[in-house]
Amino acid sequence: MSRWAKQIQMQCKIPAIGVASSNIVHYATGYVSKYQTGMPIRYVSVPFPFTGQPRAVDVGYVSGKDMLTGQPLMSAVVNALTGPLTVEEKMSGAPPEEAVEPRLLPPDSEENLRMLFEDKEWTDFNSIILPTEKRVTAMLKGTSHKPDEVIKTINITGGARQLTVEKVAINAVMAGASPEHLPVILALATQAPFGNSTSSMANMVVISGPIRNRLKFNCGTNAMGPYNRSNAVVGRAFTLMSKTAGDLRNNVNAWETLGNTMQYNNMCYGENEEALPDGWDPLHVEMGFKPTDSVITVGTGWSSIASVGASQSIYPTHYLMRDYMSSFCASGSAATIVIDPTVAGLLKDVHGFKTKAQLSEWFSQNVTKTNASYWGNGVIQSTAVPFALAGLEPYASWRKLPDDALIKPFTNSKAIHVVVAGGKVQTMWFVTDFGIRRGVSIDDWM
Amino acid sequence: MDRRKMLALLGISPTLIAGSPAYARTAPRAVPEVSSADGSGSITVMNPAIPGKLATRVPLVPPLDTLQNKTIYMVNLSWEGPDAANYFYGAMREWLDKHYSGVKTIVKVTAEGMFGGDPSIIKEIIANKADAAIVGVAG
Repeated sequence: MSRWAKQIQMQCKIPAIGVASSNIVHYATGYVSKYQTGMPIRYVSVPFPFTGQPRAVDVGYVSGKDMLTGQPLMSAVVNALTGPLTVEEKMSGAPPEEAVEPRLLPPDSEENLRMLFEDKEWTDFNSIILPTEKRVTAMLKGTSHKPDEVIKTINITGGARQLTVEKVAINAVMAGASPEHLPVILALATQAPFGNSTSSMANMVVISGPIRNRLKFNCGTNAMGPYNRSNAVVGRAFTLMSKTAGDLRNNVNAWETLGNTMQYNNMCYGENEEALPDGWDPLHVEMGFKPTDSVITVGTGWSSIASVGASQSIYPTHYLMRDYMSSFCASGSAATIVIDPTVAGLLKDVHGFKTKAQLSEWFSQNVTKTNASYWGNGVIQSTAVPFALAGLEPYASWRKLPDDALIKPFTNSKAIHVVVAGGKVQTMWFVTDFGIRRGVSIDDWM
Repeated sequence: MDRRKMLALLGISPTLIAGSPAYARTAPRAVPEVSSADGSGSITVMNPAIPGKLATRVPLVPPLDTLQNKTIYMVNLSWEGPDAANYFYGAMREWLDKHYSGVKTIVKVTAEGMFGGDPSIIKEIIANKADAAIVGVAG
């Protein structure tokens, strides 16, 4: 919103003010101005929640108070459009103080340093390994890349922070990783930071290829549980570097209203490629990598629903998956189904899905939900309504349907991924609404 | 009989068994010792934080002297749909009509929601010589 207001001011040469709910207005007037726009856009603020309310409530906010100043809202609007500029609002050019972060922190006791790391919100509030130079130097032996190489610039909340190999190594030490994990974590760093939204999103990290066995990632029993060091430290490293590199701090620019416990480990696991049915390709091969490539793939979403019980012959497994998937918002048509190898076997041998793609296509054709349920989700309102208003199909037609009409929201079967993991102990599965991005080569970071 | 009971009967602590390298699935990893070189108890560690580049400051456009006879655009960013902001802007328009003679308000819904662009709105604001804009509502 501040970007919009700034664009209008710069291009149209007219004053432009913002209206934001009280839950995020301080972010807009503070962090955004400081790190993103540089322009101290004037705001007025309405109570939260703003959307999802009866019409009378939104209308009533106009005759209510500005949550920033306490003035009547419309007085605040008029003042924002007509009030004289302050000294700060007239400032231009480079800011007087650039943030400084020393490479080494001042020496202190171990106890005090641990408290500092927590105070700065550089940890996940579990114990970390303090990143001494000796430990980081040892970690850097895990890659041929130079410490000062910039992996990416993280600008998601502003600040244009340059994430280097050395900074990733520091976070890898903190997470308890070993040097042999570093190439995996460096590849993962290209996808940082993790999801951060008021809606409490989370991430999924899937390891593919020979690296799984070399580093003993768990792809079998308890693949998604706390039973393996590689799964634990790589998943944790993503959290730590997302927080440090993204400068994500609670109520400053990290505002997931409920948070998401998946953010502790980011569901880091390996695909059980050795247990795939014939004809079912590994995830990374589906993406165009060679079977011998080592790849890391990151997904983003919100929800995971477990099968709870074992598969039953009276109701086919994929029917139950379909039923559970109908509760997802289907944003971006995305879903990731994680299934035990025994379930993969059932789906192929009993139900005839010769490839993962066939199963994805079946879900695309068979998952339905009511029109009201689809449009009743805030994320869909933000993302799909503009498509509908622009006349894009099927969204434009869906908007005209009655509330109880059934639609097939997973319009793109290619956005539905199937990953096989687990130890053949039970015919269990998870359906998730995680959308997976293209995988990243781990080999490139050796 | 479960394994814990069995081991207890044999007089063997499950904890000892679990700690045995023969039982462990991965070998214990040695973490280099940390000690201060000067014996003071202080250690030096590396900083995980990355300095954030502060944005170049841009001054605000000068404000209006009055809203009377002005044209004000209300840009609806369609956050979680356009409806809530449309209701809100509708009430704002009524208030402005009542309190400022000659004020003209135009509501535009962005084509791509909050995170996309819409050059047509910018062009229209310029073409119509609008005097101010209100952008919202995010939350």
